[in-house]
Amino acid sequence: MSIRRSSGLVGAASLALILTGCGFSSESGSDSSDKGGTRVFAADNGKITIPAAPKRVVATGYAVPALIEADAPLVGISSWKRGEPMMSKEDLAEYKKLPKVAGELATETNYEAIAEADPDLIVIGVPAPVLGDIDVKRLEGIAPVVAIGPTVPSAWRELSRKQSDAAGALKQFDAAKNTYEDKAAELAKKYKDVLPQLKLGHVGSYGDAAKGTFQREFNGSWGTNIAEDIGAEYYGKVKKAGPGSQSVSEYPSIEELPAAFREADVMTYSVNADGSVPKSVQYVLDSKLWKNLPAVKAGKAFPLRYTEAATYGEAVVTLDAIDKSLAPLLNR
Amino acid sequence: MTTLGPRAERRTVVLCAVLVALMLGLGLLGLCYGASWSSPGKVFAALTGADHSVVIRDWRLPRVLAGLVFGAALGAAGAIFQNLTRNPMGSPDVIGLDAGAYTGALVALTVLSGTSAQLAAGSVLGGLAVAAAIYLLSFERGFSGLRLVVIGIAFNAMVTAINSWIVLRAELEVAIAAVGWSAGSLNGVGWADLGIPFTVIAVLLALMASRAHAMHQAALGDAVAVTTGVGINRLRLLMVLVGVGCTATVTAVAGPIAFIALAAPQIGRRLAGAAGVPLLPAALTGAVLLLAADLIAQMLLAPVALPVGVVSTAIGGCYLIWLLTKEVRRA
Amino acid sequence: MTAAGRAPRASVTGRAGPQIGLLLGGLLLLTVIAVLSMGVGARHIPPAEVVRALFDHQGTDDHVIVRDVRLPRALLAIAVGAALAVAGALIQTLARNPLAEPGILGVTAGAGFAVTVGSALGLATGQAGELGFAITGSVLASLLVAAVGQRSPLRLVLTGVALTAVLGGVALGMRLMLPDAFDTYRFWSVGSLAGREQAPLALPLAAIAVSLLGALLLSRALNALTLGANVAHTLGAGVGWVRAATLVLITVLSGAATAVAGPILFVGLIVPHLVRRPAGGSVPWMILYTMVLGPILLLVADIGSRVLLPTGEVPVAIVTAFLGGPMLIWAVRRYGAGSL
Repeated sequence: MSIRRSSGLVGAASLALILTGCGFSSESGSDSSDKGGTRVFAADNGKITIPAAPKRVVATGYAVPALIEADAPLVGISSWKRGEPMMSKEDLAEYKKLPKVAGELATETNYEAIAEADPDLIVIGVPAPVLGDIDVKRLEGIAPVVAIGPTVPSAWRELSRKQSDAAGALKQFDAAKNTYEDKAAELAKKYKDVLPQLKLGHVGSYGDAAKGTFQREFNGSWGTNIAEDIGAEYYGKVKKAGPGSQSVSEYPSIEELPAAFREADVMTYSVNADGSVPKSVQYVLDSKLWKNLPAVKAGKAFPLRYTEAATYGEAVVTLDAIDKSLAPLLNR
Repeated sequence: MTTLGPRAERRTVVLCAVLVALMLGLGLLGLCYGASWSSPGKVFAALTGADHSVVIRDWRLPRVLAGLVFGAALGAAGAIFQNLTRNPMGSPDVIGLDAGAYTGALVALTVLSGTSAQLAAGSVLGGLAVAAAIYLLSFERGFSGLRLVVIGIAFNAMVTAINSWIVLRAELEVAIAAVGWSAGSLNGVGWADLGIPFTVIAVLLALMASRAHAMHQAALGDAVAVTTGVGINRLRLLMVLVGVGCTATVTAVAGPIAFIALAAPQIGRRLAGAAGVPLLPAALTGAVLLLAADLIAQMLLAPVALPVGVVSTAIGGCYLIWLLTKEVRRA
Repeated sequence: MTAAGRAPRASVTGRAGPQIGLLLGGLLLLTVIAVLSMGVGARHIPPAEVVRALFDHQGTDDHVIVRDVRLPRALLAIAVGAALAVAGALIQTLARNPLAEPGILGVTAGAGFAVTVGSALGLATGQAGELGFAITGSVLASLLVAAVGQRSPLRLVLTGVALTAVLGGVALGMRLMLPDAFDTYRFWSVGSLAGREQAPLALPLAAIAVSLLGALLLSRALNALTLGANVAHTLGAGVGWVRAATLVLITVLSGAATAVAGPILFVGLIVPHLVRRPAGGSVPWMILYTMVLGPILLLVADIGSRVLLPTGEVPVAIVTAFLGGPMLIWAVRRYGAGSL
């Protein structure tokens, strides 16, 4: 007995009428469906008909930072603690101000809170396997749902574009994108005599580099994909490629550290936004095997901040951080 | 029930009435509570059809009913196993049925694509596999309840180890999602999810009720049962299937909701002051416990909700420890 | 029921010849396995090279791996294995409960939970902080379990399981609320010996060594205790004092072991069962044997954790669960539930 969309709209409208005690105006309850045109949008969950110019958008998961940054007309978001340290001051204030409709977990999406936000578009930014935890049908009863979830770490460029596109907020998005690309080009020029000739290796901190292992990131991973835009080359590839991020990063035993980075000219490693070293990375840095690496012995090991950037705005911050870290390479 | 004295019997009747009243009260509270409060009048209007409310009729009502029915199913399954093993440790969550069902779900989530059909099939298969293994292994030279419990604890440890390993190995984004899975949740349960489970549980509980008397005899000892002519082994197998069926069905829809099956029968038994583990109080206590836990899970951090499994574990466990303490003091 | 029920057939001094032989054999086996374990891992290193790395250190990558990664890990396995096995033997003797084990009774869960909370609050830092929190947790957990579950072995286990479940639920809930602060819980939820080689572990290891010594000193009094409180009285063992001291040892041993390696189940359950027969009902011999067999078991499990999968390591607690589960099932089927 799934709720069909028509009855869902009636439901949302009636809900808006019922729920009067909380001081929320009900005028926008049904206008989105009859005013303005619609268009068809290709998402993870199929071709979805969405409003051409959405006015009330709910975002979850990875779509949260992307849409806040693109100044989309948000009315509700999921909590997204992972992105907080990288948001700009205004974005963070916006993030804190917006009503939360879900926690970090997709399973605990608060459907009633979403209905109460009365959106005309819902953008879900969770990976495809997690989509099973969400009752998409029920959400579709509230408003059209587009799922645009992360695949590989470097795909944030296309994903945030798609998310902003769906929310009708491409203008601001393009501005951020241009800022980023200009900055990346400028830095690529600055480092063009140094970086492209070097072989780099990266020790990451994303996820759980469990006990006794380190995270090695190759081209296209969290810690590497932005540095690549200014000409860095992280050599090698994963031993056994898996789906998603497992195709660009791996978690080998610490004993393989010498073999993994023997040829590296320069080493980089992920650190927290405040510059402190995460536990899993500190473990590697403290190891004698790390201190024996040629690149480390030559004093060419650099920390990278803000490696989890997933929007152009965040990535600009990352570029700045990379520039600061790698500067010693220039004055040789 | 012949074995209960008239006082104990009256106590059970009163207890059941109180539990049913509590259940209804909590159910009403569950229908009223949500992102915004609906008055009881509004709820009744929605239920009778006078008022059209998708939220109350299609969202809150199925969740409340699921809490009720699943809680009762878990309580009954726990009572069955505890009677069978004559041991409070013999409940499905301790002997690894929940964990086995969760393994099936995890495999569906990480290896397959994790659609809800795969999750359901995986849970049921996992629970059945563990139950079959435990049952077969504990059936040597006759049946022993304690042996079943110990083998079950061993299986629980092994299966739990597999589960943590799958989560540790899974791709990061999937692993983060699977963390929530290790605690069952009733969030997002709709009518479409409930048709088949409710039918299955209703059939199983009816089957159980029809054999309740014989089972109670068996719980008092094989000797008594044999003299009253109960086919003990067939009864046992039937009851195991009912118990496994209830647990796996609930896990398939809601994930592993731990501790209701362990705590509800024990709490019900002590409240009823009965010998053995009576089924009806166990089922009713289970329903009350799960409903209350689900409400707390929604309210604690509103608007962000917790999985109900987290709350049920905390409440059920604490209450059980408290009961055990009280018993010690009395003894 | 248990060895505790039987009269000891051999005292420490009488008929000791074969038992000393067995002990020496065990020690030899332990040495061989320890050297073997240092050769196995992501990089295979032949035993001869291992010995050279230990006694003629050249500073090559292989030598660094043996000296700085695998040697500490093997020592850790030995200490943790001995601590858990002896803690199990002590609990089983004290509680007269063959199912008793720090893991099943919720003592390791208490220790792990306390460390998680401590590190989330920013207090359990450094070896002293972690050890302090772990031991506090295990003391609280064992006091609770002992107070609630006294007199009935089954109720003891029930309380332990309840406590483990409650702590697990609360920890999961807190993790969902504060994902960053409780990220360490992922490390504490499955015990492992990997990646601890750089942590300063002198304090917990010293605590384990002292407690093991204490267990040996106490074992004769415990032997008297197994004959029954009355007999023990006439033999001059202060019953209350012995019980209290044993409880302290159990909590320190399981707390320290959990502080360095996380919760590892079943070692404390399996080992005492395995040595019960050769020990012939004597508590001192049982403790000596568990001190040798516990490390052997954990070293073997740790080797297994490194070689079982070509893709990476399995945490050792998962391996012990897989060794311990079938072992427990076998024991129940072999001896029957009544004898356990």
